[in-house]
Amino acid sequence: MLTVLYDARCQLCRKARSWLEDQPKYVPLEFVAAGSDDARRLFPGLDPASTLEDLTVISAEGGVYRGAKAWVMCLWALRKYREAALRLSTPEAMPVARRLIAWVSRNRLWLSSTMESLGLEGRSR
Amino acid sequence: MDFLIVTYCLYLAISVSLTVWVARTLFRNGRIFLVDVFHGNESLADSVNHLLVVGFYLVNLGYVSLALKLGYDVTTARGSIEALSQKVGVVLLVLGAMHFFNLYVFSRIRRRSVLEIAPPPVSPDACIARAR
Repeated sequence: MLTVLYDARCQLCRKARSWLEDQPKYVPLEFVAAGSDDARRLFPGLDPASTLEDLTVISAEGGVYRGAKAWVMCLWALRKYREAALRLSTPEAMPVARRLIAWVSRNRLWLSSTMESLGLEGRSR
Repeated sequence: MDFLIVTYCLYLAISVSLTVWVARTLFRNGRIFLVDVFHGNESLADSVNHLLVVGFYLVNLGYVSLALKLGYDVTTARGSIEALSQKVGVVLLVLGAMHFFNLYVFSRIRRRSVLEIAPPPVSPDACIARAR
């Protein structure tokens, strides 16, 4: 099982969570709001501020994945996207993926409000 | 000498032998492949292999049988050989197509099986203890 620490303040992140929850999976995903009491209780060794900056995924063995690696792990857990995850993690693709994901992550609140104003809200949890 | 009957008999002998030969190749080599796909479960692999080969025989022998009739009379050795080469040629092409289709199906099955056990493609940035 993978635990996904996501930014619950961000509309984009909540949509991503919904989407991930709906996908058929090889590995179950558990979602916990980053910086929340649950997150602190589950992972006392993790700095809450850093988990709010970048998507963080923690494996059952305690491995911590951040940013692009966290996204690759989420995709790896999904039946339809495991192959995409394997392809994204090649030495050629990874730097590009990393830059794109870092950009989306930095601008996620702006992206969320743009999506809202464009009426692209989906259901949020 | 009835060349038509001789042609038919030769056609059947050659086509059936070729079908059996290709089926046995698939059976022997496909087994190794299937055991890998089913992660060492030999009885399951044997079972699936047997089912696939039965299907292969049904389709190919069915085709061979349907395609037997010549539609015109053959009265010379030359006519017989020409008719045979045409009919056997088509049987070989059909066998070849079925063979490649089987390989394609096998490779899809194997790809899915490999994906299922693929480990995470990235290494963790850090390791922590979980409080559970």
